[in-house]
Amino acid sequence: MGRLSLRQIPYQNPILVGTFVFALILGAAIVGLVTYHKRWGVLWREWLTTVDHKKIGVMYCLIGLVMLFRGFIDALMIRTQQAIAVGPHSPGYLGALHGYLTPFHAGQIFTAHGLIMVVFAATPLLVGLMNIIVPLQIGARDMAYPYLNALGLWLTAAGAALVMVSLFIGNFAHGGWYGFVPYFELPYSPGVGVDYWLWAFQLSVLGTTLGSINLIATIVKMRAPGMTWMRMPIFTWASLSANLIALTTFPVLMVCLALLASDRYFGTHFYTAGMGGNLMLYNDLFWVWGHPEVYFLILPAFGMMSEIVPTFSEKTLFGYATMVIASFAIGGVSWGVWLHHFFTMAAAPSVNSFYSVTTMLVGIPTGVKVFNWIFTMYRGRVRFELPMMWAVLSLFLLLVGGLTGMMNAFATNDYMWHNGVFVVAHFHLMVLLIAASIFGSVEYWFPKVFGFKLEARWGKAFFWCIVLGTGWVFIPMFLLGFAGMTRRLDYIPYTQWGPYLRVMLVGMGFYILAVAFFFMHLYVSLRDRAKNRVGADAWGTSRSLEWMTHSPVPAYNFAFVPQVHARDEWAWRKEQGVADLKSGPYRDIHMPGNTGVPFVLGALALALAFALTWRIWWLSGLALALCVAVVIVRAFAEDTDTVISAQDVERAERRYHDGEVVPMEEPMGRPTPRPAT
Amino acid sequence: MVIGQTVKKWLRFTYGIPMLFLNGCAHSGLLLLEPRGLLSDTAVHYFTLDVGIMLLIIVPTALLAIWAMWRYRRGGRGAYRPDWSHSGRIELVVWGIPLVTVAVLSYLSIKAIYELNPYNPTILARTHKAAGRPLRVDVIATDWRWLFIYPRQHIASVNELVVPVHRPIRFRLTSTSVVNDFLIPQLVGMIDVMPGMRVKEAMVVNKPGHYLGFSADYSGAGLSWMHFDTHAVSVAQFRRFVAAARSSGRGLTDTGFNRFARPFIAVGGARQVFGRVQQGLFGHVVREVMRGKVWRTPMDMTENMVRYMKQQRAEQNAGEY
Repeated sequence: MGRLSLRQIPYQNPILVGTFVFALILGAAIVGLVTYHKRWGVLWREWLTTVDHKKIGVMYCLIGLVMLFRGFIDALMIRTQQAIAVGPHSPGYLGALHGYLTPFHAGQIFTAHGLIMVVFAATPLLVGLMNIIVPLQIGARDMAYPYLNALGLWLTAAGAALVMVSLFIGNFAHGGWYGFVPYFELPYSPGVGVDYWLWAFQLSVLGTTLGSINLIATIVKMRAPGMTWMRMPIFTWASLSANLIALTTFPVLMVCLALLASDRYFGTHFYTAGMGGNLMLYNDLFWVWGHPEVYFLILPAFGMMSEIVPTFSEKTLFGYATMVIASFAIGGVSWGVWLHHFFTMAAAPSVNSFYSVTTMLVGIPTGVKVFNWIFTMYRGRVRFELPMMWAVLSLFLLLVGGLTGMMNAFATNDYMWHNGVFVVAHFHLMVLLIAASIFGSVEYWFPKVFGFKLEARWGKAFFWCIVLGTGWVFIPMFLLGFAGMTRRLDYIPYTQWGPYLRVMLVGMGFYILAVAFFFMHLYVSLRDRAKNRVGADAWGTSRSLEWMTHSPVPAYNFAFVPQVHARDEWAWRKEQGVADLKSGPYRDIHMPGNTGVPFVLGALALALAFALTWRIWWLSGLALALCVAVVIVRAFAEDTDTVISAQDVERAERRYHDGEVVPMEEPMGRPTPRPAT
Repeated sequence: MVIGQTVKKWLRFTYGIPMLFLNGCAHSGLLLLEPRGLLSDTAVHYFTLDVGIMLLIIVPTALLAIWAMWRYRRGGRGAYRPDWSHSGRIELVVWGIPLVTVAVLSYLSIKAIYELNPYNPTILARTHKAAGRPLRVDVIATDWRWLFIYPRQHIASVNELVVPVHRPIRFRLTSTSVVNDFLIPQLVGMIDVMPGMRVKEAMVVNKPGHYLGFSADYSGAGLSWMHFDTHAVSVAQFRRFVAAARSSGRGLTDTGFNRFARPFIAVGGARQVFGRVQQGLFGHVVREVMRGKVWRTPMDMTENMVRYMKQQRAEQNAGEY
């Protein structure tokens, strides 16, 4: 069994045992509920084996939400540890000198927090939303490669699962989410933690790369007739630029991690300090991915804001062309700024000057975007409903995050606080901006996907708690940055930092409330869904193509592929009075058929990654061989499609017109009849 | 230059803005904003300029956003023009303002980078206040202590840096194991300290006093305890420090360093001085690490901190370190 043995189960740690019990109860409850309601068949047929881009998007978002919760618990532990472990006289529990986390445990927590929030929370949420919205916005029936889409999802899920497994078997990496070398080399990190990190990361990288190919192909090739480039909705543009970044940079990370794996598994010396290794190589390769990755996350968020602001300003987006140019400018500059992640590595002043200036250049298109949103509201009729509230929060977070970002780009400022918490506060504001846009767009597009709006009362309480929590946590953190506090401490040696750290707990309290209100928000919305049913155009003032089809969206998206006449097609149609899509008799719709192969491949990938982590060679070989075999077998499958007959389409359309609720998981279509031989 | 000075003159008015948040600075513990060295002074000077210029843009933008939201809210007084979506003049302004700002900031940033270049800070040559021949200090970061070697004086000190005020200090830094980050918030900015490599840093202290130093980059279990004290003293006091160290009689050789560099968590401090340090120890360490020398972290050393500290203390008492 390689390195795996019963000793690797951390049963001595009460925190982990508690978590395990909680996970067990939760898991049992879910299994029980599914069994009680006899939903295993539906779960398998309509969700786990689906290739429908909307359902895949929803599952991406679910993974993202679960991991967001996990990442939040990690954050809570870091904050309490730092608030307790101040000065040499602070108490210690559970084998820690101060606080309740040993350095080893604290290290795992901040590593997991970082990796989870970036790779397994923000990324799946954004990829999920792009998955749902982009095909609808361009009038397509599905993604270009529906099978690949499902594969990307299950690889990401396998990565997330591997991170979760590390909680209960063995341990996780304990040196920062971006993996320092030579710290992540065997002499300094001999355990399996780094291997968990490595393979979980690799799985998600593979998943995201496949997803980006798919989204680019979909946007380039599958737009409805009449949708020229300059008629494309702005969120689709943002997705295109984001995925171009992903496609060009994620493979670099794959190589970067593969070389580290080679060091750890084969004893090579790519990144070691001695024997001709070069740790700079790792930093370069990692951040050539790492910084563009930031824009891969933020560009879709900007796209979401650009959809929400016009809808709730009841007005066309100001400066559409400028917005497109700005998105691509940000994407373009993103490849040339990575060295600012090691300004303090004593590079020549000419080098630091170059990267300081390129980093500041990012501020130009970003600033333009801010002004364009403001001028979209200008001369509008602004309605502050929940999605708009989130968009406004994003706007202000962007102003503060942009200010501090420009401060970091000024290299000599960066020398003062490069590895300090000032930078931590800065990028948390930026990621919170992304999160706020995500919450806003979940509120915004939820009725499109599920057919009812989320209620507003708990939603507003959730919103305001996030606002207050952000203020109470990050204003003290900025001040701590000026106080010279460094990152990743599990013990606070300088007692003057203590008061700020304790004030931050107030903010964490607001965040805990926010999480509670979020669950209430979901629960009440589900309970009262009958009251909040909506038609196709949930908000009444939306402008793009996705609001033309029914809510919830039928499996085939559009009964008739729409002909596009204008940039804001739906707004144009409402003005012209041609809102009805029906343009003749219903026809059979050819759709991709469900398949369990991606799910199986995901499970095998999880087994492979787990086996590699624990160095169980027979299982690694077996899982890899099975992966290859499954892919080959799938390549010979012929009937991968289904047809939704004209009658079925007509029946479904009639039900929508009668205002009937058509559940999302209702099966539609049947396998293509094999031609008689 | 002229532009720079005009901007500076203008910005004097904005200097007060960050200060509003920092009243009672001397007791706030905001170390980065209380510089006591030539380089940190310069850095804070440019920081204030940078923030001032940025606030000139950000504050009006935020006010504009609030105004637009308020005036054009539903039921507000603003006239509703749903089709208005383009204005060449506004586009020019919204591209122009960030462009000009970034141009000004880039100029200042490049100027600051050259003035604070750790290998050759031009600010040092320009201000002739700094007196005397530079004092050389070689810094070796181990897991998890700082060894400060004074190669001309042949002495060394652990986790305690003693330097004379007003005299330029020239550091050479390396690490035995992983990447650390050398920082004294009130005196000098961060510089990465890397194994098998040598980087340089320079510093001048303007005021005698006691300053905290930290290791900033994550280096493992002992990182949180890897802070050190900097004492900036008069020339006479510095001479006394050197003499005292020499008379301590403890030597540090290449082989002794091999023992010293084993993982050690400096809980409760780890001060020591060495009176006779082998010539060329710094270069020796760099070469050894390049050849592949590794001080391993034991697999279970930090899983139970209390137990590990007991073990470490026992070894310490046995004279192992």
